[in-house]
Amino acid sequence: MNINKDFHHTNEQLNDELIIIEAAKLNPNHFAPLYEKYYKKIFNYVYQRIDCKDTSFDITSQIFLKALINLPKYQFKGVPFASWLYRIAYNEIMQEFKSKKDLQTINADISDLRNICEETNELFFEEYLPIIKKLILELNQKDLEIIELRFFEKKGFKEIAEILEISEVNAKVRVYRIIEKLKKSISKIKV
Amino acid sequence: MSIKFNIDRPKISDQEINKNKNFNELVEQFKQHSLKKANADKSWWKNKIIRYSTIILGITVICSVSYLSIINNQKNKRQAISTNQSIKTKNKAFIQTPSKKITIPNTKYKVNTNKNTTILHTSNTKIKIPKNSFVDKNGKDIIGDVTIEYKEMLDIGDVILSGIPMHYDSLGHSFNFESAGMFNIKGHQNNEPVFIKQNKKIEIELCSKNNEDIFNQYYLDTVSKKWNYLRKDIIIKNQLSHSIQNKNEIKLNEILSQSKKLNTLKKEITIEIPQKIDSVNLVCNKSIDKLSKGQIPYIPIKSSPDKPTFKIDGSFDEFPELMAFKNILFEVGAENKNYSKEIHEVTWSNLKIKQGTIKGKNYLLELSYRNKKEKLIVYPVLNETDYKIAQIQYENQLITYQKLLDKRLADEQRLIKEMETKQKFYLAEIKKKEAAYNAEKLKLIERYNLEDQNELANNFKSLSNVNRTTRLFQISQFGIYNSDCPHANSKGIEIKPIFIINETKKSLKPDYIYLINHDNKMVYGLNAIEATKLNYEPNGNYSFCIFHKNILFICSKNAFNETIDKNNCQFILQSLPKMSENIIEFKKALEI
Repeated sequence: MNINKDFHHTNEQLNDELIIIEAAKLNPNHFAPLYEKYYKKIFNYVYQRIDCKDTSFDITSQIFLKALINLPKYQFKGVPFASWLYRIAYNEIMQEFKSKKDLQTINADISDLRNICEETNELFFEEYLPIIKKLILELNQKDLEIIELRFFEKKGFKEIAEILEISEVNAKVRVYRIIEKLKKSISKIKV
Repeated sequence: MSIKFNIDRPKISDQEINKNKNFNELVEQFKQHSLKKANADKSWWKNKIIRYSTIILGITVICSVSYLSIINNQKNKRQAISTNQSIKTKNKAFIQTPSKKITIPNTKYKVNTNKNTTILHTSNTKIKIPKNSFVDKNGKDIIGDVTIEYKEMLDIGDVILSGIPMHYDSLGHSFNFESAGMFNIKGHQNNEPVFIKQNKKIEIELCSKNNEDIFNQYYLDTVSKKWNYLRKDIIIKNQLSHSIQNKNEIKLNEILSQSKKLNTLKKEITIEIPQKIDSVNLVCNKSIDKLSKGQIPYIPIKSSPDKPTFKIDGSFDEFPELMAFKNILFEVGAENKNYSKEIHEVTWSNLKIKQGTIKGKNYLLELSYRNKKEKLIVYPVLNETDYKIAQIQYENQLITYQKLLDKRLADEQRLIKEMETKQKFYLAEIKKKEAAYNAEKLKLIERYNLEDQNELANNFKSLSNVNRTTRLFQISQFGIYNSDCPHANSKGIEIKPIFIINETKKSLKPDYIYLINHDNKMVYGLNAIEATKLNYEPNGNYSFCIFHKNILFICSKNAFNETIDKNNCQFILQSLPKMSENIIEFKKALEI
């Protein structure tokens, strides 16, 4: 699976980002380049999980406001600033789901589902689609988030771990278990 | 409830996403949040402990101050009576309005700091305030509404009523100002003064009654009590009519706002270069942080022969200071009241070492075996042989550390110097750009005026005779500004005037005396407390304006001439109580 390059920065890029963050801690107007850089990505991340466009825009605004408010607490951990934004986004979305459960939605492209299937070393067939859907819908919130981040948003394990505040190994293990489950379900059909 | 599962749902277009992007709104929300937080922080008063402590402290302070002041009062009573007069003279306010009945009114304007604002004052003066121009006393951005208080003094009458001194000293010479217009501007929010932000400027287009081009701009320093020269006056244009002026103003503003060069310069001055300055600072701090700090070598300590010691097999990864020495022993501290030799006889199954009561000096040793647990404070020490070796190592390490430290300090200084040089360069750059900005703006204004002359000429005859000049002030702090021409004090005939009231023929000791020179449109404020001497030009055109107990007295031009023609020094005053209460009547009485 190809990893999304947006989430991988060179040391120089990370350093540039850090300089902007430090400047933004002193003056919120300096936050503009980060806002420009990540607005679309964060919006898409939110909209991927929510069934209402307007609510997604509102939540995105909230996420950036929270980021700006909490910026003085931000600590660089060797991953792009985006990871921190995604963590805020994840928490905001979870908060929203608490009060409005019907807002939650899963959005995937067929190519994403193909990716999941290929991870099981199986070729993708239309008939597998209901099984994959069922499996995904049965996942708990955290596992679902891992699948979405890994296969729909193509993030590396390090970023997933950073966003969900779990260890990288834990993220890998969880993905492995889900894939194993899927493998079993597919093999049943084949029999 | 089952979760919806969409496959290949249509994506939202970039255009729509960008439409919802609004960074300014985000910053605004952030500022409002900060403000709310700041207000919430103010609610410390709700904390009972703080509230009661403050009340008690307050009462104590009040009692102490009252007690001390009573004692001091009694001591100083006699002295105070004798020196009362001189103190009165010394403490006389720098700006003193001569009458309580007629004063120049302060006009208040509410300004929304989020927007660029142009205030049109009743005199047709314009005050242009860029958005986000204010900070509070702590340098924090002001958000919300700010109240601007503005008053202007456009003629001799206004100058007299303002009480602002027009005396000017330069290079040891005394001058008096002829004013083409003066104003006092200040701002506040919730009764707290606000300040103009660094790199921001408020523009005042003062609608002056004087159209001569002989004036300079001055700022009144009320602390050092003197006028400071700012620059040559900037005349934008002569106003011929309000309507045309407004029309032209809009057109001019359009031209200015469309100037790419001006916009680029403005962006560089207000955003780009300040960002570079911040970045240079950040980079410097980061580079300093990255400099090798070195490790202060650990001082070896010799064991005491009379104190028991432990040897612990294991790794002390958590404590580098313990890893620094070989064969380290742990000496049982005297503070261990529970220590007995039996501790040595137990084969402890578990042992933990933690930071002790003094960080880096001692450690807490936790020993356990089944249910038995012991805790000891221990000190890391070395036996004599190991100590000697460690001591030599320590001295060598200390030399290396010292060298490293010196290098670090030198590097730090170098980095700071580099940063300062860069910042100076950027600050100079801002100044250069500001000069270029002003020059470009003036160029555009002049070009615009030239282009507009033909149009104006056509309208000239049909216009009223209101002939006013707009003088541009660009201010970076609130206060009193003046468009002035200094005139050397007269060295003509010297007299010591005596004032006689016409109606009663009695002499008057005025509270405030103003000599008006009608030729130069100047006012000399004379010292009314001390016996005043004054000089006048024999061919000049003078009058006196005097206030006594808020009543206006005038020695008219004719009365003044009559007195000096007779080589007399008794000036006859007309009492004008009715004209002492109305600014228009007052100005009529001045014959200006």
